[in-house]
Amino acid sequence: MQVEQQYGSKGFGRLTRGAGLFLRNSFGSLFSREFIKVLIPLLLLWEVIPRFDILPRTLAPTLSDVALAFRDMVINKGLLLHILYSLGKFLAGLLIAVFTAIPIGIFMGWNLPIRKHTLPLFQILAPIPPPAWVPLTIIIFGIGLPMQIYLIFLGAFYPILFNTYQAIKDTDPRYLSSARVFGASELTLICNIYFWNALGAIIMSVKTGVAIALVMLVIAEMYGGRSGIGYLLVEAKDFFQIPAMVVCMLVLGMIGWFSIEILKFAELKLALWKVGR
Amino acid sequence: MEGGEMIEARRISKFFSIVNKEGIAEGLTACLSVTLSIEKGKIITLLGPSGCGKSTFLEILAGLQAPSEGEVFIDGVRVLEPLPSTRAEMDAYRKRYRFLSPLANDLFRDRPKHDIAMIFQDYAVFPWMTVLQNVTFTLKLRGLRRAEREKQALFYLNKVGLGASLHKYPSQLSGGMRQRLAFARALSVEPKAILMDEPFAAVDLLTRERLQDDLLKLLDSSGITIVIVTHDVAEAAYLSDEIIIFSPSPGTIRNRFTIDVPRPRRRDHPELADIQERISRLLKYDIDNESEYSI
Repeated sequence: MQVEQQYGSKGFGRLTRGAGLFLRNSFGSLFSREFIKVLIPLLLLWEVIPRFDILPRTLAPTLSDVALAFRDMVINKGLLLHILYSLGKFLAGLLIAVFTAIPIGIFMGWNLPIRKHTLPLFQILAPIPPPAWVPLTIIIFGIGLPMQIYLIFLGAFYPILFNTYQAIKDTDPRYLSSARVFGASELTLICNIYFWNALGAIIMSVKTGVAIALVMLVIAEMYGGRSGIGYLLVEAKDFFQIPAMVVCMLVLGMIGWFSIEILKFAELKLALWKVGR
Repeated sequence: MEGGEMIEARRISKFFSIVNKEGIAEGLTACLSVTLSIEKGKIITLLGPSGCGKSTFLEILAGLQAPSEGEVFIDGVRVLEPLPSTRAEMDAYRKRYRFLSPLANDLFRDRPKHDIAMIFQDYAVFPWMTVLQNVTFTLKLRGLRRAEREKQALFYLNKVGLGASLHKYPSQLSGGMRQRLAFARALSVEPKAILMDEPFAAVDLLTRERLQDDLLKLLDSSGITIVIVTHDVAEAAYLSDEIIIFSPSPGTIRNRFTIDVPRPRRRDHPELADIQERISRLLKYDIDNESEYSI
C-alpha cells in the first residue's frame, strides 16, 4: 500500500513490479546466498568430472556440452517452439480437467443423492494408473493432439475431483447453518460458502494434478507426436544425443517448477483472508 | 395469551440412533416432549450441562434440524412440516424430498423462511469476507438493494463499534470484535427473534461481561425476542427474563425461573445472587445423581 502511494504507480508499472515480485519469490531461492554456495561447486563438479574422464564423457556430458546442445536446439530445432507446443497441450489438458473436475466435485460434495449416484463410478476408474490408458487411447483417438490432451486431462482429473469433493463435503456446518438461517438459496450457498471454504484445498489438489499431468505430458508425447519436449527427448534417444536429452529433462523440470509457483502465487492472492495480518 | 407469542414449541422430541463401541445401534433421546412458548421481546435462557440437548433444541427452533415429533411455530408460522405418520404419507414425503432434504432452502431464490437470525458459539462469521461484506451479504439475502445494503450495514457496524475496521478480514479481529461482528450481522437484518448458541463461550471473562452489557444496550427497546443457550449460570441470571433449566438424558425442561429484577441490573444484585445459588445447587444435584447412575 505504502509503496504504491509513494511511487504513484498504476497499470503497467504495477504489472512489471508484480511480475518481478513473483519471480523473486518463486525462483529467488535458486540464487540465494546459501544455495549459491552449493550451486557453483555442483556446476563445477559437473563440468570437471567428465572432463577428467572420471566418468566417461560420452555418457555424462559436461555442463558446457549441455549448454552448447541447448543453443544448438534453440537455433536448429526450434526448441522454444516445442516448449510452447508442450505448454499449450499441458494447459489445454489441465484447464479441461479443472473446469470439469471442480464443478463435478462441488456437486458431489454438496448433494448426497448426486454423490451416491456418481461416486462408485469414479472410485472404480480413478485407481487405474493413467499410463495404463495409453494403448486404448491411441486406438480410439489415433496418434495426435486429441489423444495427448486426453491423457494429460486424465492425469489431472481424478486428484482434483476427489480433493474438491472431499473439501466441499467437509465444509464447516456452522457456516452453512448461519447462511441458511439468513435465507441463502442452495446456489448462493455453493457460490458464496462451499466454494470459498474449499478454495485452499482445491488449489492444493490442482498442484497435485499438475504433477501428474506433467508425467502424462511426457508419456503422451513420447508415444505419439511430432512436437513437444517429450518428442524431442525420444528423438534425442534415437540419435544417442545425451546432451539434448539432458536439456529436455531440465526444461521439463522448469515447466513443473514454474507451474507450481504460479499456483502458489494464485493461492496467495485468492486466499488473502487466510493470512492473518 | 394476548397473542404475544413469538416462538412456540409444542411437545418437541428428537431421537437419534447411534452406534456404540460394541457396534450395536442404540437410541438416544436428545429432547423429550419439550413444550415452550416465548413471548415477544423477552430474553430467555436455556441453561443446562453440556450434552443435555439444549443446542439440538435451539437448532430445531431455527429449522436446522427436523424434530422427530412435535411442531415449532415462529410468529404463527410453522417452521417445518411434520414428519409423515402413515405409510402412504411416508412414500410421498420420500418422493418429494429424494433430491433435497426438507431442511434445504430454495434452489435458486434467496428467501428466509422465517424472520430470525442465529449466532453461533465460534461466531461463524465468514472468514473469506471482510467485515463489511459479511454484513452486506446477509442483507443481500434479504433482498435489499446495493445502496440500502451499504447504508444499513454501515449503520449497524458503527453501532457495535466496528466502523473503523470495515475492510479487515475476521482473522485480523480479536475474539470480542468477531462476536460484535456476529451481533451486527444478526441485528442488521432486523429480525423478530435471534437465537444464540453459547454466544459468549469463546471469549475471556472481562470481554464476556462487556459483550453482555453491549448486547443489552443494542437490544434496548428493539422488541427482539432472544433465546440464549448457555451453561454459564451468572450469564443466564444477568441477561434473562426467564431461565429454563434443561436436565440431561433425556433433555427435558426441569425447572423455570422467572427473574423480575428491573433493568439495568447490577451484577451483584442480591436477588440475582440468590437465583444463581439455587440454580447451581440444582445443577450440582443433577450431576451428582448422574455419577451415581454411572457407577
